[in-house]
This record gives sequence, structure tokens and C-alpha cells, in this order.
Amino acid sequence: MLKVQGMVTSYGNIKALQGIDLHVPAGSIVSLIGANGAGKSTAMKTIVGLLKPDAGQIIFQGQEIQGLPAYKTVALGMSLVPEGRQILANMTVLENMEMGASQRRDAEIDDDLEKMFKRFPILRERRDQLGGTLSGGQQQMLAIARALMARPKLLLLDEPSMGLAPLVVADIFQVIQEINEQGTTVLLVEQNARQALKISNYAYVLETGKIVLHGQADDIAQNPRVKEAYLGGTKRK
Amino acid sequence: MDFILNPYYLQIVMFMAINAVLGISIYLTLSTGQLSLGNAGFMSIGAYVSALLTIKAGAPILVSVLCGGVAAGCMALLIGLPVIRLQGIYLAIATLGFGEVVRVIVLNLKITNGALGISGIPSMAVIFGKQLSEVGLSSGMGGLTLQQIANLLVLLVLIAVVAVLVFFCIRVHNSRVGRALAAIKADEKAAEVMGIDVTYYKILMFCLGAVVAAIAGGLAAHLTFYIGPKDFAYHRAVEILLFAVLGGSDVVWGPLLGAFLLTALPEVLRFAAEYREMIYGAILVVMMAFRPQGLLSTQTLRYIKEKLGRSRVNDTSTQPG
Repeated sequence: MLKVQGMVTSYGNIKALQGIDLHVPAGSIVSLIGANGAGKSTAMKTIVGLLKPDAGQIIFQGQEIQGLPAYKTVALGMSLVPEGRQILANMTVLENMEMGASQRRDAEIDDDLEKMFKRFPILRERRDQLGGTLSGGQQQMLAIARALMARPKLLLLDEPSMGLAPLVVADIFQVIQEINEQGTTVLLVEQNARQALKISNYAYVLETGKIVLHGQADDIAQNPRVKEAYLGGTKRK
Repeated sequence: MDFILNPYYLQIVMFMAINAVLGISIYLTLSTGQLSLGNAGFMSIGAYVSALLTIKAGAPILVSVLCGGVAAGCMALLIGLPVIRLQGIYLAIATLGFGEVVRVIVLNLKITNGALGISGIPSMAVIFGKQLSEVGLSSGMGGLTLQQIANLLVLLVLIAVVAVLVFFCIRVHNSRVGRALAAIKADEKAAEVMGIDVTYYKILMFCLGAVVAAIAGGLAAHLTFYIGPKDFAYHRAVEILLFAVLGGSDVVWGPLLGAFLLTALPEVLRFAAEYREMIYGAILVVMMAFRPQGLLSTQTLRYIKEKLGRSRVNDTSTQPG
């Protein structure tokens, strides 16, 4: 579904991504893990078109999309849940969700809203409350619901667990899994590598702008280097 | 009656209407969160283009005012494309610079008559007066003199322009576009992620603001007999912005209220003429300290609506069944 080849992105003189290759097959959950400053968010932003790559190819459903602005990639079927959620604090929950469907003109928006409320009952309760008054976890749910309102084929999640309580994190990851089971491909960026690897099919490890390791999520989780660096050391039995 | 129809008061009300149009122009640019100080420059383009068209080419006022608007719109598109990438204070400085450039160009062109400005612009009141006397009303009607009727007609035209613009703004505000604008104003990055073409909307509103400012300029030129480069200098740019600062820029009624108040204030404070500027400044400082969002905000409107709704409910419930 998504293929990235030799993607290079820089901020001025600093090369944040030094030519990375990614492959996200349709129907899967692929996660991109790495430490702070490894370039994970940069990779996401470049894929959806918030940043322009200096080099490389991004192919989405057989179409080259590198350099396309974000509003066009959304139209093609990509939807990003941005880091830090970026809820519109002065709009109500419902308005936030409607904004997610801002490119759609079809008649099924109301049905989709209903589906979202069914999936996230808390959002129905808070429907007319301002987005800024929600808790972190609720805002994350809202951000995911908003992204889904665009009916994406590929959902990109940038650190959905950031700043959330462990219990809420578990909820969020379960929701991500459910979304995937219903047919949406997911590309996930996480620092919480343990949780991410649990639900992913495939994983890439990013370090200082380069992919240092990739493979089936289970294999990655067993990899001693990954265990050492991201999973809090090796467990001795 | 004579008191209301006093030409001096009528003139003030007309300026209120012109300033209301300017207030709407800054509301349009601010609706995407862009702080532009270029609207005085666009107003000047509109004023000069329409004044010159009526004087030199003999075009009807309606046509020349619209041409002024189109000219300013094209100009806004031209400078908007590079300038719109700037944000906050940088955009303000760039647009302020644009206004000054326009002023200096106007000051040095032959056709705009340099620092002397253009005088003898046919005023709307005079033209209405002429048309009225042609249809045989030269001695007035119903106790009103010809001049009074003409002035009232001009006022009516201005109020109609304001009404149309307010209607337009409210329709936009409640539409899909309005939502997109609100999202851009709240968080540009988030809006982009939601699939909104941020650059398109920003340029659109920048140009619309310019067109509306130019229409205000064209109307102002045909209200007075004279326009000069000094009318559209830096202080005008700030004045336009103050309409929105005082009244609030969330809802279209904000800058409208700001325009009314700031036009009326100098007249009300006439008894304290020497201290006028000081009082004026003090009011703004107090506003910034205690109500930075302006007099009217979305919450204020919601509150007013609730109050009105509740009193209506109470009325019906207290009626004896």
C-alpha cells in the first residue's frame, strides 16, 4: 500500500532522515520505533506531505506522492493523527469530528459520526463540550476519531501513547487493533516500543535518521539489541 | 427632524458605515489568523482607482468602485502569494511595508497628483441630487430639501453595502468554508492534517479583505471631494486594526461595533478636545488589560442569545393559562 524508498528530509542543514526505506503492506500494522530525535515524526510528516523530502520516492497505492501537500494526500486516503493530538480546543467534540470529514461531500458522514460515537462512547457523552476541556486520553480518542472521519485507507498515528496513563494506553492500543481488523492499514510511530510491537505485524527501528533494523514484530521484540535499548534490558529467567 | 438631518451628523453616520466596511475587511483577513496591516494600502488603491476612473474616464460611480475593488484584489493576489508564508508579526511588518510602498508610489505619480491629492471627485450626494432634480424633485419633498433627500439616499446605499457584507460574512461563517477558516485560525498545522488547503484559504481571505477595503476606499472617495496620500498612511492601517481589537474579531459584529464606537468616540469627546487622544489611548490600554478578545466574542454572543431565549421562555410561562 505504501512504499518509501531512499527518503531524505532535512531541516535546513540538518539531515533528519538520511535515506530510509519502508514498506507498509495493505491490511497490516507496521510500527516505527526509536528514541527521541531519531526522525520518527519527521518520517510521518514527510509521508503525509507536511514536509517536503529532499530525495527519495513515496509511493501510495501505486502513485508517487512525494512533495504533494497534505490536503492532497488526505484526499488520496491518508490520515495522520498528529503528535500531541492537536485538538481544536475552541471547537466542540462534534465540530472537531466534522472537521475530519472536511474533504468529504457524501451523505454518509452522519452514519460515520454514529459509528465513531459507538466506538468511543465517551465522545458521545462529551459531544457538545469544547475539545480543550477533555482529558488527554479523551483527546487522543477524539484525534483518532477525527482522523477516521476522513475514511482513510492508511491511518498514520504519531505517538498515540504520549503523556497518557498506562491503563489508557492499553485502551488506545486496543482501539488501534480494532480499527486495523476492520480493514484500515496502520502505520504507527511509538516510543512505547513494547506496546507497539505487541500489536504490530512488522517493525522498523530508526536511529539518527537511518533504519538500523527491521523484521517481523515478534523477531524484533526478541532481538537482544532492541531489548537492551528499548524494552528496558533483557529479562533473565 | 432637523437635528437628525443635520448634514454634520449625517456625515458622521456615513463615516461610521465606511469604517464598518473597513472593519469587515480586517475581520475577513483576521478570520484565518492573519495579522495584516495592508488594508489601508488596499483602501488607497480602491480610492485612487475609482476616483480616477470617474474623473478621467467619466465612469459611473458603481462601476469605478467595483473596478477599484478588482484592482486591489489583483494586487493582493500578487503580493499575497509570497507574503502569506509569513506569520504573526512578520506578516504585519511585510503588509505595513506594502502600505507604505503604495503611499510613496501615490505620492510620486503624476496621475495621482502627488502630495496635493485629487480634488473635485464627484460626490454621490451631488449626483443623487442632480438625478432627483431631473425627475422634478428640485424643490424637495415632504418638507425635506433636495440636499437632505440626496444625503439620506447616500446613507441608504452605504447601509445596504454594510448589510450585504454582514450577511455574506454570516453565511460564510456558518458554512463549510467558515469551519475551515476557524480551524486554520485555531491551529494551522492541525487544519492541514485534516485535509484543509491552508494556503488557498489564507490567500482567498487576504484577497477578499483587500477587495472589501478597496470598496470602502472607493466609497469614501465619492463621499468627500478630496483624497490625498495622507488619508491612507500608517495611522489609517492601525485605525482599521483597532476596530477589530476593540470590538473583537471572532464574530463579524465585533469589528462593526468597534468601527461605530471608534468613529463616534472623537465626536463624543469633542468637549475634551485637548485630551481626546489621551482618553482614546487609555480606553485601548484598559481594553487590552481586561478584555483582550475585544468587546464581543463568541461567548458573549452565546450569552446574549441564551438571555434572550430565556426571557422569551419566561414570558410564555408567566402568561396565565
